[in-house]
Amino acid sequence: MTLRLTRRGFLGTAAAAAANPLLPRSALAATPLTMQAAWINDAEFAGYFLAMDEGYYAAEGLDLGYLSGGPDVIPESTIIAGRADLALTTPDTTIKAIAEQGAPFKIIGAQYQKNPIGIVSLVSNPIAEPRDLIGKTLAVPPVNVISVNAMLKLNGIDPSQVNIVPYAYDPTPLIKGEIDASLDFTTNVPYTIGQQGVEATSFLLYDFGFTIYNDTVVVTEEVLAEKRDLLIAWLRASRKGWEENFKDPAAWPPKWADSHFKGTGRTIDNEVFFNTAQQPLIESPSGIFAMTGEDIEKNLSALGEVGIVGSHDMFDTSLLDAL
Amino acid sequence: MAAEASRWSGLRNAAILLLLWEIVGRLDLVAGGALPGLTEILHRLWIDRADYPLHIWATLYASGLGFVIGNLVGIAAGVIFALFPAALRVFRGVNIAVFALPPIAIAPILVLTLSGMAPRVTLAAMGVYFVTMTATVIGITQADSRARDLIRAYGGGRWDVLRLVQLRGAVPAILAGLRVAAPNAVLGAILAEFGGGGRWGLGTYLLGSLGRGEPDRLWGIGLVATVIAGLSYAGFALLSRRMLGASRAVTLNAAVPEAAPAKLSPVPRLLLGLAAIAMPFLLWWGFIRLTGVPDLISKTPWGVIDYLFLGRSAESAQARLLAALAETLPITFVGMLAGLGFAFLLAISSRLFPRAIAAFMPVALITQTMPLVALTPLLVLILGRGTTLTLWVTISVTFFPAFVTLAQGLALVPRSAEELPRAYGASRWTEIRMVTIPASLPYLFAATRLTVPRALLGVMIAEWLATGKGLGNLLNQSRGFLDYGMIWSVAAVSVALSVLFYQIVVVIERRVLRRVGMSSAE
Repeated sequence: MTLRLTRRGFLGTAAAAAANPLLPRSALAATPLTMQAAWINDAEFAGYFLAMDEGYYAAEGLDLGYLSGGPDVIPESTIIAGRADLALTTPDTTIKAIAEQGAPFKIIGAQYQKNPIGIVSLVSNPIAEPRDLIGKTLAVPPVNVISVNAMLKLNGIDPSQVNIVPYAYDPTPLIKGEIDASLDFTTNVPYTIGQQGVEATSFLLYDFGFTIYNDTVVVTEEVLAEKRDLLIAWLRASRKGWEENFKDPAAWPPKWADSHFKGTGRTIDNEVFFNTAQQPLIESPSGIFAMTGEDIEKNLSALGEVGIVGSHDMFDTSLLDAL
Repeated sequence: MAAEASRWSGLRNAAILLLLWEIVGRLDLVAGGALPGLTEILHRLWIDRADYPLHIWATLYASGLGFVIGNLVGIAAGVIFALFPAALRVFRGVNIAVFALPPIAIAPILVLTLSGMAPRVTLAAMGVYFVTMTATVIGITQADSRARDLIRAYGGGRWDVLRLVQLRGAVPAILAGLRVAAPNAVLGAILAEFGGGGRWGLGTYLLGSLGRGEPDRLWGIGLVATVIAGLSYAGFALLSRRMLGASRAVTLNAAVPEAAPAKLSPVPRLLLGLAAIAMPFLLWWGFIRLTGVPDLISKTPWGVIDYLFLGRSAESAQARLLAALAETLPITFVGMLAGLGFAFLLAISSRLFPRAIAAFMPVALITQTMPLVALTPLLVLILGRGTTLTLWVTISVTFFPAFVTLAQGLALVPRSAEELPRAYGASRWTEIRMVTIPASLPYLFAATRLTVPRALLGVMIAEWLATGKGLGNLLNQSRGFLDYGMIWSVAAVSVALSVLFYQIVVVIERRVLRRVGMSSAE
């Protein structure tokens, strides 16, 4: 006897399942949802790895697809193309795209309350504040030049007074003294430099007026309308993952040595340093991913300094409110 | 006996080079230790050995698949183009465009429109197609016309000529093409891995390692990439050596090449020309429609025109593009000439001093397979961020394909022609000047055509990673601003420029070759 799945039979079964509210959630097929991360696997995404491994997404009825990022991956593009439902982005890029190209994005959460990018230099040739950059060579990823210019302007420095060169993801030129400083994640690079026997110092752009979030959670308006419940479920599971992760930032990275962090070229000690350093930048009294009216205002005014004109309606806090 | 002696001296030279590297590296003589000693690199490879297998497998898979697909398409297209010159005319624009597309510009587009391994395979295949297609056309059109006449005289048809003479005659050229194509496939795959955000692949490993500031790891990854590319290169070199012995003509083909197929009347000719120009745009348009990527990201030809000339930011876009071009173009010309000159010197030297060149070849191969994204931060330490760096990067991406093409041309000069001046007591140099160089003229032009778009690519890579100027920088910045119009415009303009340079070379080539009575390897 062969088993045949007829359309009517299938619909009947599906209807029965939907009609039975007593059926436990996990017995229903999980709904797929895909996220686009901003970079290759490292501690920046620890909360999501934890939530995946501990089944937080599954418990919310989500079957999470996870796409890692890289230099050529523009996270916003992936959601425009419909290959992911949500993306972790830099808010300056996202807001510029909404304001100038009419891109249909909404920001529904912010992983980093304070952007971890900052100016990294060596203790032997320290750059302690923006003013110290005058007459120095600073390596900046071309994508971030706009942020640096904003920070300089906010501190009354003409960008032409700083020699800005491209940063090719490698701290070696800084260690060797070919450049005086570089722009990078302050949660990560000082450790790497320390490994080479050189001591590094850094300051956040955030602390000198460029008060923006980072890894903002962005969706298209279409996805927001169609998958609102799934997005809330994702925020809830991810928040739980981050909270669990920060109970002991040193606990989780070693567990991923043979999974998420296998063969990334980085070390577990590095990830522990990263995870510890990012805790104060992610945690918020209003809960992880929070976007308070005051902070949104800070973002908008900092971006306004570089001519990126955003508005409050680009942020949708209603999903966070529903958590 | 002589062969044995030269093999030993080759090994000796290689050993001397390696020893020199080790000493320089151990004493941290280059850029404060950015060039580690060979044993330091090997030691690091051993420590990292558990990381490699999955990355290597991913790269092998993507580059191998890309290599096979790119070559199949390349050879099939080459045969069709050689048989139907009209097809070659119609597809000329497409051919040059495929070759001239800057990988750094299309990688994000491919990452966006295709999923999984497809962007890597596509980039690898695109690095292979043009080289193999050109080699196939050269090989088939340069086939000995006397053998062709013989088949005809015995009643053989077009197919017999192709099967018995032209395809066989083309084998050495195709093998030379495959030899160059192999490192291209590996590099293409690694570049897409580097940017594409996958989990495995040497490019991904490289990206994770770059931030660690450990040159020995970077060199280790480069070395592994080199071994992969080197083995494939050596495989085809060996194959080519074994097959060449049987198929090289022993006497000079004295027959004047057949005149070009009956002159076309102006109207069809104009139509063919228009088709050649329209074809790349049609394919561009078709690709976008086929992938169904939204208009915000993907720009059709019309979208680019709109962005550059009609849109509300057109003026600013034009100004930025022109400023970038003014920085990029002059250095591109200089770099192209330098790369070509270097390749030519090398090819001639390989006849005069075969041993020295044999020892140099491994070093040359490393420059081809050591991913530039890994090499550039280290090169910056040695050369700074000025014109010197841009020139060196440009030479390093241009000279190798040009050298292989030239060396192939030199190797195909019939021995009897070379022996003639020797019999009259001429020196080796006179022999090269009077016979070898003129006889390899079609290959010099073929090499020039290969060099044109690569020079632009080399300059853009240096601008992107080190100098922060010109088209390379504009492209990268636009990526961060989601300025898709500019991303497509830079790609379109760089392709258009490459096509223009290419056409100029072709015109010069036709005139010169017609004067000396040779047929162009078009």
